[in-house]
Amino acid sequence: MEEQDYIQFEAYVSGEMSQNELLDFENRLQTDSKLNEAFQIYKDLSSHLKHEIANEQEASDFKANLDVVSSLYFNKHESGESKEEVSQEPNLFKYIVAASVMVLLGFFMFNQVSDPIYEDYNDFHSISLMTRSAGDEVTIEAEESFNAKNYKDALVAFNIILEDDFANLEIQLYKSIALVETNQFEEGDDLLLKIINGSSAYRDNAKWILALSYLKQEQKAGCKEVLKTIPEDTEYYKSAQKLLKKLD
Amino acid sequence: MSAKKIHEDQKYVDGLAANNTFITQAIYDKFAPKVINYIKNNSGDTYDAQDVIQETIITIYNQAKQNKLQLTCPFDAYFFLLCKRKWLNQLKKSGRKEVTINEEVLSKDDDAQILSFETSVFENKEALFKEMFQELGDACKDLLNATFKIKSMEEVAKSLNITYAYARKKKSLCIGQLTKLVQASPKFNLLNY
Repeated sequence: MEEQDYIQFEAYVSGEMSQNELLDFENRLQTDSKLNEAFQIYKDLSSHLKHEIANEQEASDFKANLDVVSSLYFNKHESGESKEEVSQEPNLFKYIVAASVMVLLGFFMFNQVSDPIYEDYNDFHSISLMTRSAGDEVTIEAEESFNAKNYKDALVAFNIILEDDFANLEIQLYKSIALVETNQFEEGDDLLLKIINGSSAYRDNAKWILALSYLKQEQKAGCKEVLKTIPEDTEYYKSAQKLLKKLD
Repeated sequence: MSAKKIHEDQKYVDGLAANNTFITQAIYDKFAPKVINYIKNNSGDTYDAQDVIQETIITIYNQAKQNKLQLTCPFDAYFFLLCKRKWLNQLKKSGRKEVTINEEVLSKDDDAQILSFETSVFENKEALFKEMFQELGDACKDLLNATFKIKSMEEVAKSLNITYAYARKKKSLCIGQLTKLVQASPKFNLLNY
């Protein structure tokens, strides 16, 4: 194909041909099979690139959701099956991931009469990142620091992971917790809002963290607003409702 | 496939494209058991099944997002054939031999055969496109990344410090170059162009 052919393909794909050019071009496609083949590939490539590049965030939200649904399903499936299968190590990791994604940020509730404070709620469960990236050093560092509540070091490690894998929503969520813990509210809240505005499985989790961030910043009204948006069918609903009552 | 009637199970395809978690869950609940059984009876385990199902769903999602998937058969048959083909290919690649193809569980639905075959071809295309994109020079990669991320070509031109006309021309030539790379690949023959 000549340069001019590709320029024509682009004009056709982006709908910028005049009626005459269009007729002429379609005519050529019918008579010239080589041109037609190249054009079909060009068209598929355009559609592929558009999907890969423009919808990158959307696709990574989808994959994050799928991960959760898949882990939950197979977790249930396996536990319902005969227990005699010897659990192999990689399987165990899958359980841990499934469990940690869902239970990760459960919170102990204290029935206190006094005004609720952030420290009543920030008992974040341990995270487990090992299966995600086959245990490289940064991942281990991130996990150990986070679990030891050493949020400063965890942040450094999260940032390194995100450099290569910036769309990783799970890491973004943990990073936001570390930011709130270290009082970097502006950056933390921004990141949480970004996750909330996406459509991933981490949305409701992020809402809960954002509410806690506002609580820590003593922004009662903001905290209540966010809590009210946590849907009933999520694991954060109960905690959110309890906290709402205390704030009233 | 334009004259054919769209099957009501198109809702699963549309649900995936819309990232509807309930639909994704429903797909697992309804259609995963058959696949898991099949893979377990053919030299695999539950974890192989988990991977095969997840990869298959991602392929369906990609195809649906590019508006290239109209279901004219039950999702069940379509999905099973896709998973099965993927698993058999993996077995073939890994050299695990004891493959028993149980014809009874094979769907005889012609549409399902055709559609699942098209999806497998689509998957091969996507894989080759991704691979060939990496072969492009940095200038083309940057330009294409910018053009598909930023919608307006004027802004693309500005951000790369080139003129609008040049950016437009360059975009078509870069995709043209990619077209040539795809055609020159030994895997091209598998793509049904």
